[in-house]
Amino acid sequence: MFPINDQHIDFVLRDLDANGIKTPDLQQNLLDHICILAERDLAEGDDFYVYYRSAILSFYREELAEIETETRFLLRHRRPWLLLSRSWFLCGLFVVLVGPFIAFALLWLLRMGRLPLEVWGGTLIFMQFPFLVWLVIALTPDRFDPLLPKGAKVLLGWRPIISIL
Amino acid sequence: MVYSSELIKGTLKTILLKLLADNKKMYGYEITQRVREVSGDRIQITEGALYPTLHAMEADGLVTTEVEYIGKRMRKYYSLSPAGKAATRERVKELSAFMQTMALLLDIQPKTA
Repeated sequence: MFPINDQHIDFVLRDLDANGIKTPDLQQNLLDHICILAERDLAEGDDFYVYYRSAILSFYREELAEIETETRFLLRHRRPWLLLSRSWFLCGLFVVLVGPFIAFALLWLLRMGRLPLEVWGGTLIFMQFPFLVWLVIALTPDRFDPLLPKGAKVLLGWRPIISIL
Repeated sequence: MVYSSELIKGTLKTILLKLLADNKKMYGYEITQRVREVSGDRIQITEGALYPTLHAMEADGLVTTEVEYIGKRMRKYYSLSPAGKAATRERVKELSAFMQTMALLLDIQPKTA
């Protein structure tokens, strides 16, 4: 196996940087890749620098900097990560719209003396869920499904309050 | 026959996710070699496509990384995060459905023995 030394590493890092690879992680990934290729293909005594010049050509089409450009492009245009999937959102919407009415009915039944305390306790917990859904959506607008209309967030927030009032 | 980069580009993330799901943790060179081996050299992932995609996946929280130092150089191992595991299932399912649709669209009959 060809021995890679610190001079080789410094040379590669300098060359990557000079040719437009500025992201440190990307530099390290490419450095490791090149070193593995050299260790695989070169015999002891071979010229690392000549090998590097030819090997690096297979990494790009026109210029090395296109790897950096592609990385930045993908980081800029990556798909927003969703905290709520569409199905969970619809479940939440159902609970928000119907929950207060169920809670009201249960409260009415309790007043009539027909519900045990455990059910009433459960209802209290259940009533918190719409507000939790609203909080999550309000605090993480960048993680909300962009296909859903913005107005839905407003509806979600105010519907249970209006219902309770 | 080596598949064109245009074909591979749209499926690269799915390939990487599935590979990491099957192999726990891998580094860049290992990934390119594994893909060549499994595909019989028909899919050749270039370094210029691989590393930007891995970086984007890391930023998306689909993969986690751990670093190993080999002298002065650093080797980065990638493995799937819980979100990555969920994404793998979704992407593989989606690609499978897409392939079936393409077979219908292009009127490709499955080969029978």
